[in-house]
Amino acid sequence: MSWSWFAFLPEPPTGDEPADALASATTTDPDGRPAGLLAAWQRGRKPLPTAVRVDERVIDPAGAAAWVSLVLVPPQVAPLFDDPAVSQAMRRVLAGPPFAAISTLLRDAVHFAGAITVEHGEEPARLADDPFARLYPARILRVGPGVFGRVAPPAGPAIQRYGGKPWPAAGF
Amino acid sequence: MREDLRAGGRFPDLELPDHTGNPRRLSELAAGDPLFLNFYRGFWCPKEQAFFRRLVRLQEEAEVAYTRFASVSVDPPEIAAAFRAGLDARWTFLSDAQRRYLAELDLLETTDTVHRPYLPASFLLFPDLSIHQVWNGYWFWGRPTNEELRQGFRAITRAIRPDWEVPAR
Repeated sequence: MSWSWFAFLPEPPTGDEPADALASATTTDPDGRPAGLLAAWQRGRKPLPTAVRVDERVIDPAGAAAWVSLVLVPPQVAPLFDDPAVSQAMRRVLAGPPFAAISTLLRDAVHFAGAITVEHGEEPARLADDPFARLYPARILRVGPGVFGRVAPPAGPAIQRYGGKPWPAAGF
Repeated sequence: MREDLRAGGRFPDLELPDHTGNPRRLSELAAGDPLFLNFYRGFWCPKEQAFFRRLVRLQEEAEVAYTRFASVSVDPPEIAAAFRAGLDARWTFLSDAQRRYLAELDLLETTDTVHRPYLPASFLLFPDLSIHQVWNGYWFWGRPTNEELRQGFRAITRAIRPDWEVPAR
């Protein structure tokens, strides 16, 4: 298991899709107003200064439209990944009912940059239970098709990251 | 129990639905880490409830130690999910409600003709599912203590992690 680059562009450039993106789609807020663009790139050269690492399994260019809870912690207030608050959020993910897909986000190998939690239903109500929203306010977004797939729930009880990979990606 | 399910043998890479209904393979759940695999009779058995409370106490260590647990029974996924939630277990429970592997593994508990459950047996596995240690838990005292599991995880981890001895500068 590895990781991909991932970015949220609140004000995307007009015209073409992000260069070399593995997957991308525009987003709307719960009231249907345009709310930017989400994109993912294969691991390699960092595509944008704001890009973060995401578990590659959540990205699926053939995935259906989805609701997501996006927690993006600004660098200046980002906790360590090993902060007990982050650990407790991962425990709650493992203990609770599963989401369609979930990944933490990493800005580097040390800091927690946020999380993406995915549901494929028609309503975003379940995303109110996103455990990572306790660390920093979440954006609830409707994402067009072609970005997020379904992933079996993380296998516990492991909550440690493996090297610089975003949890729940496993393997050294 | 099948003859080859002993230390040095290789455990079959079972594929079963987890407690949420998703098909899972043991190798996927191990994900490159040591795996503790236990078969249990069902949520209704007081010995299993006591044993799982023991495992739940160990999960706080396992969660930071790059080790995995998986538990298998004939309970349907929704029953396994409720049992798991009640225990506050945070690992994957697998459901063999169809009893696909009972005969293949020769793990049918023949003395219980009502539930036709799995014999309570536990296996400590390497990431490639080769067997490090086996416990027959038909009698409760035959089951592994948490200290025995710690010792087993230590032995496997020492064997599989090339940096067990901290690299010298």
